[in-house]
Amino acid sequence: MPAVTEPTRIRNFCIIAHIDHGKSTLADRLLELTHTVPDRDMREQYLDKMELERERGITIKAQAVRLAYRTSDVDHELNLIDTPGHVDFTYEVSRSLAACEGAILLVDAAQGMEAQTLANYHLARDAGLVIVPALNKIDLPQANVEENRRELAELVGVDPDEVLAVSGKTGQGVTHLLERVIERVPPPSGDPNARLRALIFDSSFDPYRGVVAYVRVFDGALPSRSKVRFMATGIDSDAEEAGVFAPEATPVTSLDAGEVGYLVTGLKDVHQVKVGDTVSLAGKQRAQEPLPGYREPLPMVWSGLYPAEGGDYTELRDALDRLKLSDAALVFEPETSQALGFGFRCGFLGLLHMDIVKERLEREFSLELIATAPNVEFHAVRGDETIVVHNPSEMPQPGTYDRVEEPIVLGTIITPSEYLGPVFELCQSRRGELLEMSYLSPERAEVHYKLPLAEIIFDFFDQLKSRTRGYASLDYEPIGYELSELVRVDVLLHGEPVDAFSSVVHRDKAYGYGRGMVERLRELIPRQLFDVAIQASIGSRIIARETVKAKRKDVLAKCYGGDITRKRKLLEEQKKGKARLRRVGRVDVPQEAFIEALRIDKGNRTKAGTRS
Amino acid sequence: MSAGLYVHVPFCVTRCGYCDFNAYAGLDHLRSRYLAAQVREAELAAPEWLGETFASAFLGGGTPTTLDVEDLQALVSRLRSTLDVASDAEITIEANPDTVDRAKLSALLDAGYTRLSMGAQSFDRTVLESLERLHDPDSVKRAMHAAREAGYANVNVDLIYGANGETLESWERTLRVTVDLQPEHVSAYALTIEQSTSLGRKVQRGVVPAPDADLQADMFELACEVLGEAGFHHYEVSNWAKPGLECRHNLGYWERRPYLGLGAGAHSYRDGRRWWNVRPPEEYLSLVESGRLPVGGEEHLTPQEEDLEEIFLKLRTLEGIPVISVASGVALGFLEQGLLRMVDDHLVPTERGMFLLNELVLGLAS
Repeated sequence: MPAVTEPTRIRNFCIIAHIDHGKSTLADRLLELTHTVPDRDMREQYLDKMELERERGITIKAQAVRLAYRTSDVDHELNLIDTPGHVDFTYEVSRSLAACEGAILLVDAAQGMEAQTLANYHLARDAGLVIVPALNKIDLPQANVEENRRELAELVGVDPDEVLAVSGKTGQGVTHLLERVIERVPPPSGDPNARLRALIFDSSFDPYRGVVAYVRVFDGALPSRSKVRFMATGIDSDAEEAGVFAPEATPVTSLDAGEVGYLVTGLKDVHQVKVGDTVSLAGKQRAQEPLPGYREPLPMVWSGLYPAEGGDYTELRDALDRLKLSDAALVFEPETSQALGFGFRCGFLGLLHMDIVKERLEREFSLELIATAPNVEFHAVRGDETIVVHNPSEMPQPGTYDRVEEPIVLGTIITPSEYLGPVFELCQSRRGELLEMSYLSPERAEVHYKLPLAEIIFDFFDQLKSRTRGYASLDYEPIGYELSELVRVDVLLHGEPVDAFSSVVHRDKAYGYGRGMVERLRELIPRQLFDVAIQASIGSRIIARETVKAKRKDVLAKCYGGDITRKRKLLEEQKKGKARLRRVGRVDVPQEAFIEALRIDKGNRTKAGTRS
Repeated sequence: MSAGLYVHVPFCVTRCGYCDFNAYAGLDHLRSRYLAAQVREAELAAPEWLGETFASAFLGGGTPTTLDVEDLQALVSRLRSTLDVASDAEITIEANPDTVDRAKLSALLDAGYTRLSMGAQSFDRTVLESLERLHDPDSVKRAMHAAREAGYANVNVDLIYGANGETLESWERTLRVTVDLQPEHVSAYALTIEQSTSLGRKVQRGVVPAPDADLQADMFELACEVLGEAGFHHYEVSNWAKPGLECRHNLGYWERRPYLGLGAGAHSYRDGRRWWNVRPPEEYLSLVESGRLPVGGEEHLTPQEEDLEEIFLKLRTLEGIPVISVASGVALGFLEQGLLRMVDDHLVPTERGMFLLNELVLGLAS
């Protein structure tokens, strides 16, 4: 077991970077350099353990790994805390940062700074971290070291000479970087004699051992077996084991002030172990005050998930229950759609989170799902009463409420200045309000916009990328609710509203949405034996209409020569196809039409920046 | 119950782009072996069909008239001596207009081929080209004339509508020319794209547009109108006849009477069993020549399959199905929509219903 380390020899740090700026590769080099992973076991993106993570090249769950490094006869304990890299997980990022004293700010020497670099830099600075700026990928022929060094130095407020140049790929400069971390990042300063206070910066669920919390001990010590108290949830538990990742889980007798490691909590429900909560000891040893900064996870984006085959409802419920064990941010409640049957309205931290959940449900539980178009949470206010709307079809009809409020975010966009025009245009078209603009360099600008969240969960990010030839980057954070002119647009098939297609949109965009939807559905709804009207409406007012003309031909023209078997089989196939139709009023709608009509919206949606 | 006899002749001069029948160009060297094998197959099958009278026979293909007239004469007489073919049997032969003249047709009529089915397809050159049919539209008129001179009193004209490039106007001209030729029977088929054909592949690649279903529906309605006015009786989805001259052989399929198919790929049906011969002519030959029935597969219809066939075959014709055999609610809906009508205690498709037959069948069969 590792011996107790003097706090002065401990360094807790993380790497913050934009997606693809090489964080995982640099982490691999650090593992090698410190001989934390034997050479024969080394593989790429070592810390991104889950299969899903590896494929997406992102990190869902923060991890902490202990590295041992000796400089001038001093053995150092370095804890590298891996932070999640997506705006969906800003809160989790902030908790991971709170567990550190320093951060390597890593920027691709060919790409330069991006919106996430900036957003995370500000988060890290606000958390009081010492920033070690470094340019990565200097081995690339297109690396522009001098220019980006100046930009980065200016941001951090240091001399350009202090910006290190490394290559995670070749290992060039990595030793120097590690030594710079030891030199600049201060050791942890907690009080080893005070009562235990440890910050939970992440958790995961182990099917055999229950909930495992990732913790940073600030004050006191966390013995391996102890009765602990989770201060926000008020739960006491007999913790089974404390340990560190080196990089595999290794038990320790105790985690002491300043150290980072894991705690097998003895609890089975991940919702009892919340990120941001403080672990103390139970009973008389309990700390007076928890560490600051705790917040409940807040779903930002909602979507209905339905089994493609109606019979799979129970399986979907069980799968969501299982997933919830390891995903504290996932919320869901049963709901019924006339069109899609029984399913669940699910709340997610953001679109990436939604994608991950949906993909895990499909992959790990072999479910085929239909997801309704994502929406934000609306508030319909009537007098003192606020109706919280998670499903557009539940939005009250116009005239029955005083006003509607929608979530607003503060968006930060970094773009080459030559694309400022298109960026402004896009933001204006998304009801954005320009707050501030500044130049990072003569060629690059940073703009701040106030935007409705609902406007960026659709194709905003894709649009931003395509209008700036991929150069602009986006980050956003929620800043509350504001009054808005929103209306519910319904889609009717042959006079029957189809709940799955209802949407809450801004009044000015209602017509466009309605028109788009009826046109799309006209292509997707097969012809029936009668004319089918497809209409979009606001309340009782029809704003768009298309007609699917009655079908006139459906016959096997030639049927003789004795090969009746084949004709019968064709009919049997057609019959099977009919069995897959869902009936909405009198209209038969194929499953694919729902998926396709909803998918187009899905295809349009934001993949707002991911940091690697 | 009388049976039908189908004789498949797989030889063609060329292969048409839309055709997915078991037919081959360039296999003419197999002709004499093939004819001998068909007679041999009839002999092998005969014991099983003992006591069954064949009220009709149909020589289809392929192009049966590519065979020499002597061979065709011999074939029918050998079949008559092997199987119990009724003396007044309707014996149809499919004819390509370019492969017949007056002398050949006279000989065929003498040999006992009582009915002629002429593959006209269209009288519009553009449409024929689009179908990759080689004949000249005028050759149909000549062949028709020759048939009359030879003494044929029961002639069918086969038409296909909805090919790429065909307009409603062009189709109307084809219908009018057909009516002017005064056949006893007209078969008019909406062109169906089969994936396995060269046309099917062109449609898949987007080189040729798929037929427009609405235009085909317009063409169908026009055929109903023009042929109806000319005194033809619309007795099956794609078939019209002067009263009393319906094709007895094809009615046998739709009325689910037994049939024996001879030749490569031919299908047979009797007592709930359907079986089919191997398709490649060479394989067919080697099996028959070694004294074996050339059966390539078979099926025994389940009660559900029987029900489905009963509905989808009988509903093709004006015979229809007994109202008592189906769910009344569904039937009522179709009656209200004007897709079915009641004739005594039977449900019979209207002309509009005929063109939506799959919908009717799938509604009624569930």
